[in-house]
Amino acid sequence: MVAAKHPVLLVALPLVFAAFCPVLAMWKKSACFPWALAGVSATTFLAWSLIGKVSPRGAVAYNLGGWKPPWGIQIRIDYVGLLMICLVTALGPLLVLYSYRYVQHELKPERVPYYYTLFLLVFTAMIGFTITGDLFNMFVFMEIFSIASYALVAITGAREAVRAAFKYLLMGATSSLTVLLAIAFLYSATGSLNMLDISIRLKTTPYVPVAAVALVLFVAGFSVKAALFPVHVWLPDAHSIAPAPVSALLSALVIKMGVIGLFRAIFTIYGPTFATRSSTWSSLAGVISWLAVASILIGAVLAIIQKDFKVMIAYSSVVHIGYILLGLMVLTQEGTAGGLFDILAHAMGKACFFLVAGIFIYKGERRQLRELRGLGRTMPVTAGAFAIAALSIVGMPPTAGFMAKFYILWGCIQGGRYYFVVLALLGSLLTAVYCFRVVYYLFFTGARMPDARIDEGPATMYIPAALLALGTVFFGVFANLLIPSLNTAARVILAK
Amino acid sequence: MSKGTSSVLPVIVVFTPWLALVGAALWGKARPKLAKAVYVGITAATLCLILPFYARALDGAVTTQRLLGVVSGISLSLRIDTVGFYFAILLAFLWLLATVFSLGYIHERETRYYCFMALNLSFCIGVAFSANMFTLFIFYELMSLCTYPLIIHDETEQARKAGLKYLVYSISAGAVILAGVLLQFFYAGTLNFTGHATLTYADASKPVLLVIFSIYMLGFGVKACIMPLHGWVPDAHPAAPAPASALLSGVILKIGIFGIIRVLFDVFGVKQLRLLGVSLPMLYVASFTIIVGSLFAITQTDLKRRLAYSSVAQVSYIILGLFLLAPDGAIGGLLQVANHAFMKATLFLCSGIIIHETGKRDVRELDGVGSKLPLTMLAFSVAALGMMGVPATAGFITKWELGVGCIQAHRPYFIAVLLISSLLNAVYFLPVIYAAFFKGGPVGGLLKHETKRTMLIPVLITGAFVLILGIFVTVPGLPYSLVEVITKAVF
Repeated sequence: MVAAKHPVLLVALPLVFAAFCPVLAMWKKSACFPWALAGVSATTFLAWSLIGKVSPRGAVAYNLGGWKPPWGIQIRIDYVGLLMICLVTALGPLLVLYSYRYVQHELKPERVPYYYTLFLLVFTAMIGFTITGDLFNMFVFMEIFSIASYALVAITGAREAVRAAFKYLLMGATSSLTVLLAIAFLYSATGSLNMLDISIRLKTTPYVPVAAVALVLFVAGFSVKAALFPVHVWLPDAHSIAPAPVSALLSALVIKMGVIGLFRAIFTIYGPTFATRSSTWSSLAGVISWLAVASILIGAVLAIIQKDFKVMIAYSSVVHIGYILLGLMVLTQEGTAGGLFDILAHAMGKACFFLVAGIFIYKGERRQLRELRGLGRTMPVTAGAFAIAALSIVGMPPTAGFMAKFYILWGCIQGGRYYFVVLALLGSLLTAVYCFRVVYYLFFTGARMPDARIDEGPATMYIPAALLALGTVFFGVFANLLIPSLNTAARVILAK
Repeated sequence: MSKGTSSVLPVIVVFTPWLALVGAALWGKARPKLAKAVYVGITAATLCLILPFYARALDGAVTTQRLLGVVSGISLSLRIDTVGFYFAILLAFLWLLATVFSLGYIHERETRYYCFMALNLSFCIGVAFSANMFTLFIFYELMSLCTYPLIIHDETEQARKAGLKYLVYSISAGAVILAGVLLQFFYAGTLNFTGHATLTYADASKPVLLVIFSIYMLGFGVKACIMPLHGWVPDAHPAAPAPASALLSGVILKIGIFGIIRVLFDVFGVKQLRLLGVSLPMLYVASFTIIVGSLFAITQTDLKRRLAYSSVAQVSYIILGLFLLAPDGAIGGLLQVANHAFMKATLFLCSGIIIHETGKRDVRELDGVGSKLPLTMLAFSVAALGMMGVPATAGFITKWELGVGCIQAHRPYFIAVLLISSLLNAVYFLPVIYAAFFKGGPVGGLLKHETKRTMLIPVLITGAFVLILGIFVTVPGLPYSLVEVITKAVF
């Protein structure tokens, strides 16, 4: 297929669509939506055609401009990369479709083309970020999606939106600089920018302390992007104030890029063998797993005390980043597989949450939790989607969230970390408190006689939400579709 | 554990109740009467689908079906063995009666109510038919969640509080069970139910086994309302509509017991539990629950709350019987599952009729109810006498077998617990019967009508069963025949 031979198209295609979006807007503003949808869908088609082409050790590789690595930029799609691009491209069309009516409602018409352009840019850069094999290229993509995200948070132009975007920008820029510094250090230590090449050189050349410093900087920088406690403070503002589809994009995918960054640094570049050379590696893994547990517990408590629906959901993302990183950092095969699976589970569940929150805002500016009373009776599909996604976020069977949690906990037990099991289960109880509270408001309270003025909302909005909710159930029941591959990927990662 | 065959029938049984959702979607709003017929029909169909497994269950044969692989070593699988069949047939039968009863009792939010009834039936059967701890946990959690809408059906302030309490207890218990499942899998390497011990001294040291055992008891003990984990029961039962409380007490508490039975017979095994020395502590806990639960029941004035505390006490009979770790004790315990289910279902359904017809739920206001609702109160009296353990009722058989079990296990002093409990049962049930029949004049004049037939008939059936189970104990097809097979395989 085309994509397997020329994976660069995965980045080039949406980039072209993004570039021509403002041009198209000069001719006709209303053309931006179909244009963006076409671009995203075409990329989805390309990305999904790669399924089955990637094997655990033999990644799909492509040398840009024919330059061989380590001199040229290489695109390498491994299991994790494939998982991420499939996820990004699965969510992309749904979010664009959802944006259509929401953006009409929330943005001034002249800003709509910017919205779709920025959306496409974030989309492009996320794909690029996950599939590139070159460290500096990765940084460039990171900057693209970060800067586009700042702009998307501020796109309404409202005062608090600008303030939240500025806070996001300050922390994001600091983290980007930290990562850049790390790249520079690593380059000075190894003389290479290709990730595979660096990992080989780290093994074969004598150990230099700069490499360990670079690792610490990587972790510090990407932790901010991932919104790990205690550097999560930008997230609740940015994610709650952004327009709903942007919140979904940021929460479901953009913060996952921070996780992927951590993953690339810790596993792809350094790898468990680095632990034999410097104790930094293992101690960092330990620190991150404890911070992850702190994220779970503190994030959940903060989510519980919120009164604003979207802020609550935003804090919930902090919780789940904790679960994902806990899974990845217990350094067992099952834990890693569970962490990767939770990326998928959380992306679907959280995107659904934000889309539902957006529908409630669209239909009458309902942002407070107590304003949601009884909406389950008038908006059964929307509220039902929320309820199902809530099961997944809490980790109840038969949803993807449960399978992910099961694996993560199992990984913790395999690694002998019983205290993490206890703490993680405690976290899921707290998660149940804030998620089921909303389900309770939606379905079991409120007036007997429904308000006739409220109905379901546009189909382009509730169908994406419902599909995401069904997705969590699908991947919960048929977890076996993915888990063997993730297990293999985890084994390869940890066997280095 | 002779023959094992594979069949898709268990899967069909578990998912048949889901058809009720189809019925609700098609006719729930437009043709409510047809929809109700569908709900009842589907519950009856589920019962009929379980029946054919009777012969195999009596043989001790096992029917299995793998649904989905989850991980190597764990799969979603169904398995019908004798104990699973016993629970499934019992709960499906009670479910049918409760659904019929609901036709007359439930007047609001019917679609939601019947849908969650059907889902709950599906998940309860799923628990009974689980082939391993993982599958059991999945269905158990789903069942826990789907019970919530039944408890808060009335959406009163009281129901909400009860529902919240229920959720907190259940979800915490679910997390605890999950930890148990993970630990069991880690140490034993298998979660399958095979009819004998799968987690043994060869797999883990004694402290680890004790920890896993305690975790399971804590987790399942919430549904099985072992004190002090019973907190949700006295709130949830009165808050739920009568047919739902009948099922809560008759079935859902027993599902907790079912988990304990699996832990007993299929995870640790009787022999090993003797070695672990958990029998005596569990017997003390059960005895404590029986006596203190009964004492609490006496102090309650709300009829349904009194019945709820009575359930707390009576369900611990099962635990007492099982943890005697003696054949007759187990027979008594397992018989109590059915006996208590019928007795308590009768009592709750009767209390539902009383509330529905007279609007009274305070036990002090029931003077003369017997003349207005003679058949209802007759059923109520029979079941209450059963609770006390009067001969010729189901309750007597339980107590007799438990007593024999106490002697077999060389712990005769626990018979005292049974006797004290009977006495306490008399203290809180006899005044109600006395007041209903012999105190005060007829309420509301002559008996024109008893109540709706859809409500009366289920009550009379369950009431009749209290007598049948007490008189025709060993007739094939009644619980004893199955329970005998189960205990023979284990001891």
